[in-house]
Amino acid sequence: MIGAGNVLFVIAGILALAGALITVSSRNPIRGAMGLLATIFGIALLFLKLNAQFLAAIQVIVYAGAVVVLFVFVIMLLGPDALGEVGSFPKGKSKVSRGIGGGLLAILAGVALVLLAGRGGAHVRFGDVQPDHGSVEAVGGLLFSRGLVAFELATALLIVAVIGAIAVARGKQTKSHLTPAQRGDGEFFHGTVVARDDRGRPPSKGDG
Amino acid sequence: MDLVIALSPLLAVGFGGLMLMLAEAFGKPSEEGISKTTGDVVDAGAGRGAELGLGASVVLIAGAVMAVGVWIVGPETLEGVADVAPYLLIDRFSLFFTFVLCLGGAFTALLGGGYLPEHRIDRSEFFPLVLFSTFGAIALAMSGDLLSLFVGLETMSLGVYCLIGLRRGSARATEAALKYFLLGSFAAALTLFGAALLYGATGHTDLVGIGEAVATIGQPDSTVAAMPVLLALALTLAGLGFKVAAVPFHQWTPDAYEGAPTPATAFMAAVVKTAAFAILLRVLLVGFGEERLMSWGTGWPPVIATLAVLSMTVGNVVAGRQESVKRMLAYSSIAHAGVALVGVAATIRSTEDATASVLFYLLVYTVSTAGAFGALILCGSRGAEAVSYEDLAGIAKRHPAAALAFSLFLLSLAGFPPTAGFFGKLYVFQSAIDSELYVLVIIGLVNSLIGAYYYVRVMVYMYMREPVPGAPVAKPMSSGMVTSAIVLAALLVLGLGILPGVSLDMAIAAAARGG
Amino acid sequence: MGALLGNVLEHYVMLAGVLFTIGAVGFLVRRNVLVQLMSIELMLNAVNLAFVAYNRVHGDDMNGHMFVFFIIAVAAAEVAVGLAIVLSFYRLTGSVHSDDADALKG
Repeated sequence: MIGAGNVLFVIAGILALAGALITVSSRNPIRGAMGLLATIFGIALLFLKLNAQFLAAIQVIVYAGAVVVLFVFVIMLLGPDALGEVGSFPKGKSKVSRGIGGGLLAILAGVALVLLAGRGGAHVRFGDVQPDHGSVEAVGGLLFSRGLVAFELATALLIVAVIGAIAVARGKQTKSHLTPAQRGDGEFFHGTVVARDDRGRPPSKGDG
Repeated sequence: MDLVIALSPLLAVGFGGLMLMLAEAFGKPSEEGISKTTGDVVDAGAGRGAELGLGASVVLIAGAVMAVGVWIVGPETLEGVADVAPYLLIDRFSLFFTFVLCLGGAFTALLGGGYLPEHRIDRSEFFPLVLFSTFGAIALAMSGDLLSLFVGLETMSLGVYCLIGLRRGSARATEAALKYFLLGSFAAALTLFGAALLYGATGHTDLVGIGEAVATIGQPDSTVAAMPVLLALALTLAGLGFKVAAVPFHQWTPDAYEGAPTPATAFMAAVVKTAAFAILLRVLLVGFGEERLMSWGTGWPPVIATLAVLSMTVGNVVAGRQESVKRMLAYSSIAHAGVALVGVAATIRSTEDATASVLFYLLVYTVSTAGAFGALILCGSRGAEAVSYEDLAGIAKRHPAAALAFSLFLLSLAGFPPTAGFFGKLYVFQSAIDSELYVLVIIGLVNSLIGAYYYVRVMVYMYMREPVPGAPVAKPMSSGMVTSAIVLAALLVLGLGILPGVSLDMAIAAAARGG
Repeated sequence: MGALLGNVLEHYVMLAGVLFTIGAVGFLVRRNVLVQLMSIELMLNAVNLAFVAYNRVHGDDMNGHMFVFFIIAVAAAEVAVGLAIVLSFYRLTGSVHSDDADALKG
């Protein structure tokens, strides 16, 4: 008997896998971001199937609402440069070695998966769970009782991310009346880098 | 109340970071700072690097003092400690690492307070980031659960990525940050998949529960499958091996170390590595401390031993071929990770002694490497930073004190008596001999000889070479904060070398309680 | 078999494993930094799926769900920092190609 639940699993699984393949294979990152979005929705559907309603909602809100949107913003900001590969083809040797590395990893992972599932037909079937399994109350209650310490630690993480992201990405610092050379630490200036390397010599290669 | 006392080092660092952030946001930029960055946007903290650095180092030293205080009171006597377990374990093992990490962070803050103003990097975000990164490192060293392990690891790592990338104008720094970020996130994802497999196999995320469940593998009524556990072990080792910069997970190290501002490099070498070793020991000994997993034939010790041999050999051989002193120190840090891994492998027999030797080694290494980077900073100044061997030629004539201090730290890193480094290596190799890992000891000794070559080479340049006429040379800077950091580190290197007993006893007590 | 589909743990773990592998291979093979970051997100999503599936078997302790909650929070923070670094890199090099990260030589 194939019920609606089985169909949901198949659809969600195919959605997730197809999205993942598009993400890693598409040349245009915006397509990749859409693939990622498909994967995220697929996994959110699977969460529903696994009685994880709260996480399904969070998954959609945070990943689709924040992470993918952030990616799309950055891709739009970069414009055609986001394609990356244009004009700077991967060096031949490194492309080959990368391919071999990726292939080896895939084979290793395949072997690992076969070993993981290698218990023949003995499947672990899902049993019954309480009705509030995965509800906001159940997860939230745990989060603010036993998990409170980890929750507090996560606040430090978010502060670090906020300070760090601002510190690293804040645009050109000032319009200085000093030339970059006078300021001396290789500031970004009018689209090109007028840099000196750490020893104060002009850059020999690659800094520009 | 007990809980506040027990957590005081962590709380001090966290609140200190918040205070510093506010000071930076609402403080007035110094006149000098404005004149340097004339324009429409001026950081409130511009030109205040020295003050903020001093504040950060005071906070971190206070944290270290509090760790000592909790140690004296005795974490066992504090009742509230159980409330935060298993996410944060307050035991002597944690406190020892808290002390070392705070010390490493304080060195970084002092060096940053001198380095950033000198090199006109008006990035006062540096200091809150150092504090929060240290906070994450302490949380990581204290964690007894995969959840807090992950959160602590990411807090520390995100801070470090940003510390490297702070020098926005420098292509090298940004590139270093990018490489480290990509590989670091990849490694974190590997560790996480390992965590998921462990949770699946055992039903626990706390290390004690995992350890108990893993111990039942093979028993007739066990529900724990061996395969996922082994796979999880491999993934966890890869992820943590990346953080301690063990070969073959080391590719990011030289680039990140070279591209980062030197104080951030010191932070990576001292704090990140130490915290990663703390959690590596805890995961291996508590989570995978089961007898068969800890035996030579069927468990992780041969893997750790292989990593140790590779790290020592590759680190030392490649370090000898570097032209940049900063890169040389990066490869030397890989080699030192290898030596510490010898101690980790030695936990198979005399578990407590070997753990204590690793703890002592990490303390010694933190002090020595922070001092070495401090001396490197002191040898250079704006536009004339000391990077390559040639830059250091004849520095002994221009700044004898800096050259002397640098030599002391290099001797300690190389492991010459009577410096601390000698005893660090001695105890690690001693415990390896006790565990009958003779091959590892021999390889380690051979590597120490190779290492001596490039450490001494720096001294040869400093004392015996004259700069090539016309070539750029490093001009030593003058900074009270860098000098005080170096003096503190030098005192510790000599103190730990002449009287290693006290701190070694503490390391033994820490190993007995935790691990 | 048909009725079991989606009702046994192994299906979910296999799916998570395949997704994780796709992400890992994508990270290693692609050289566009943005795609590499997205591959890392794929890997984290696979981990989330594995945690929730395992939690379904381990009953009502909700530990796995809590872990996923934190992974999602950390992933968002990580992406923010990562994209900040990518932007900073792009400003200096005009590229998002990680082979252009070659100022530092090993």
